[in-house]
Amino acid sequence: MLSYLENTDIALWVGESYYAYPALLAFHIVGLATVVGIYAMRDLKVLGLFPALSLEPFVVLNRLALCGFLINAVSGLLLFSSQASYLATSVPFLSKLSCITVAMILATTIQKSLKIEFESSNHGEAVVSAQLRAMSAASLAAWTGAIIAGRLIAYIF
Amino acid sequence: MWSYLADIAAGSALNLWIAETYWLWPVMEIIHFMGLTLLLGGLIVIDLRMAGHLRLLSATSVHQLLPLVIMGFILNLITGVLFFYGDPGRYSINIGFQIKMILVLIAGCNALLYHWRVSPLMHNLATGDDTPLLAKCTGYTSLTLWFGVLLAGRLIPYVGTG
Repeated sequence: MLSYLENTDIALWVGESYYAYPALLAFHIVGLATVVGIYAMRDLKVLGLFPALSLEPFVVLNRLALCGFLINAVSGLLLFSSQASYLATSVPFLSKLSCITVAMILATTIQKSLKIEFESSNHGEAVVSAQLRAMSAASLAAWTGAIIAGRLIAYIF
Repeated sequence: MWSYLADIAAGSALNLWIAETYWLWPVMEIIHFMGLTLLLGGLIVIDLRMAGHLRLLSATSVHQLLPLVIMGFILNLITGVLFFYGDPGRYSINIGFQIKMILVLIAGCNALLYHWRVSPLMHNLATGDDTPLLAKCTGYTSLTLWFGVLLAGRLIPYVGTG
């Protein structure tokens, strides 16, 4: 299946075109900064940094973060397609995907609990539960892991 | 200017150490990526508020994000200088690198404009208030420039030597 993916027209285009690979990498870093940047700020806010900053706008910013994620899911899949069978057994690549899966499950859960919190307490300061803090700390760790593993794809197998 | 700086870097003890330490380059790249995440993440929130979005935030509360943005910038300045020192011949003549540095410089000027002219206008704004036109321009300019920095930087390995 992986070699089938590698031989699709689009995967061959990614691998052979002069522009495709760098263009996809350019999209990938814009998406990275958007999704990880926004979630990192939200997690740090939940963990007690920026005391004067309201947490509520992060419920709105979630949509922008998801746009970043979508850009990276599409550009990432296309980048993957050109080297599918190599990456499928690459330890850093598999670690990166595991980190992102955990981080996105946490992001969805955190977003849900923030939404419930702000719907019940009209624009007040949110009560940050211990559980929410733990999830935010785990989310920060997962995104950090994803960045480390992602960079290492180019260096170790 | 870049070839002058490259001459200083080439052959220096720091240059040789970076070139010879095989694990250093990926470690610096990881730090550079974390720095950019802090820089861009903080700026997205600050600049969008300046542009008049996210009005649930009071315009002054977003200033609390600035230390983190500056920390991200410093991390990337340090790792960036080390990249240049590690491979001066490649960076000094790279068009992507040169464009990136010009964009960083303009973004720096924009930040000074923010500090001197825009920031005082924001102090009187409360939650829900719209922002003045100058603040909107500065906010969108900042976001455009920094995402431009990101693109130019990512393309350094792929663009020609100018």
